[in-house]
This record gives sequence, C-alpha cells and structure tokens, in this order.
Amino acid sequence: MTYKINAAGLQCPEPVILAKKGIESHGDIEITVDNDTAVENIGRLGTKLGCKMNIVKGEKGLYHINIKNCTEAASIISTPEGCRETGSENTGGPVVVISGDTMGKGNDELGRILMKAFIHTILEADTKPGSIIFYNSGVKLAAAGSDVAGDLVELEKTGVEILICGTCAAFFGMKDNIAAGHISNMYDIVNYLTAAARIIQP
Amino acid sequence: MPEYYVLMFKSVTGAMQAEKILKKSAIPFKIIPLPKTISTDCGICIRFEAEQLESIKLALASKVEYSDIRKI
Repeated sequence: MTYKINAAGLQCPEPVILAKKGIESHGDIEITVDNDTAVENIGRLGTKLGCKMNIVKGEKGLYHINIKNCTEAASIISTPEGCRETGSENTGGPVVVISGDTMGKGNDELGRILMKAFIHTILEADTKPGSIIFYNSGVKLAAAGSDVAGDLVELEKTGVEILICGTCAAFFGMKDNIAAGHISNMYDIVNYLTAAARIIQP
Repeated sequence: MPEYYVLMFKSVTGAMQAEKILKKSAIPFKIIPLPKTISTDCGICIRFEAEQLESIKLALASKVEYSDIRKI
C-alpha cells in the first residue's frame, strides 16, 4: 500500500521534508506537489536514496511523484535538500562563489576594496543570492574581525546561506574564528554548484 | 537609521589610502560603492556615521585628498 502525501501548495523545503519523512516511516510513497522546485528536490532525494521514481503530471499543474523500492534508508540524509533555484522558478536565487579575498585579478589592494564594496552591495540589493560559497583566501572575509563580517551576519539573517570551505578555513588558521556562515566541505560545495541554475563569481 | 555621510575621491587610489589611515585610527567606517544618485570619477567611497565627521576630517587632513563629503 503506497502512502499518499499531499504537498500541493507547500513551498520548499516542506515538500522534500514531507517526502523524506514519508519514506522513513512508510517506505513507498506517492507525493503530490505543484511546483517544479519540489519535483526537482524530491527527485534528488529519490536519486540519493536509490529509489524507483515515476512522475505523473496531473491536472491543474499538479505532479504526482511515486517513490518506491528505495535501496538506502532515508535516515542517511541528515538535512533535507536546500531550496535552490530550478528552471524558471526563482526560489533559491543564484549561488555566489567567492574564491578569493579580491574581486578580480591584477592588483590585490584594489581587488580587496572592490570585494568589500561587492559584499556590501549584495546586502543592499533587492534580489539576494540563495547562497554564498567562500573558498581559498575568500574564507578570510568570513573571519571574525573581517571588514565585511557584519555584512555577512546581516546577509545570513535575511536567509542567505553562507558556506565556508573547512579545509581553507583550517589552512588559514581561522576554523574556530568564523563570524558568519557554517563550515562546509567539498561534497556540499560541489552539490550546490552543480545544482545551481546560476553561479556568480565576482 | 543612523545618519550617514560619504567621503568621495577622485580615484580609487585615494579611497585605498584613506582606508589604510582610517583603519589605524579605529574610526568606524565602511567601504561602499558610490550611491547611484551621486556621480563622480571614482565608484568607491567611504561611508561613516555623522558623528565621525570631524574625526575623519582630522585623520585625513593633509594626508589624503578627497573630492567631497556628502550626506546620504
């Protein structure tokens, strides 16, 4: 007996959370959603868990996703998929990649001043990114006492997810000295980059 | 909202010099892009709260040339 879940009308991340819980407690499920983001997020969940999936497009923009015979237990996924932009639906916003503490190359002193202005401007912008990923010397910007630490804390408050490369933070000796965001790893970084509809690298 | 001023420069080099000096002085400020409503040659300016106006002027006096100070 397939357990049915109606997630129509719910926005990310609720549908994927309901799907995960459903698989956890009932095994096979059929979940109804009404947006592409939910379809993609649940699709990713199903792929991760090795499930057989069948998506049927119903009336009124509804999708019925049938998920069965998962080879992995849903509990292997600790946190549900993030809400990322898919297709035309702008739910997650673009991913901003900060790969160094300068904006552009050429003159580092100039690059550092531009980067400060860039981060300040993201904070002031109406359309914010879904997430910002910091790696290599970019992580220095997220360190406590950095000139943009305050901006990053504010960005986080507005719902922008901030990922900091753990290897890089350790390399620069600032792993225990992060002002904003959370320490992340290459798996998450690759996941975010491959799932992103748009990547912005200043 | 605090009252802010911006310090403008003829070139970004001026902004960079001013940043160095102000960092040593412990006066709170922020590097921001020049507000769209203002137009000068340099797109980067230094923003600070109104109460810092005099100490900023003093810190930069005869060290860095700035083109204008404006309330935003």
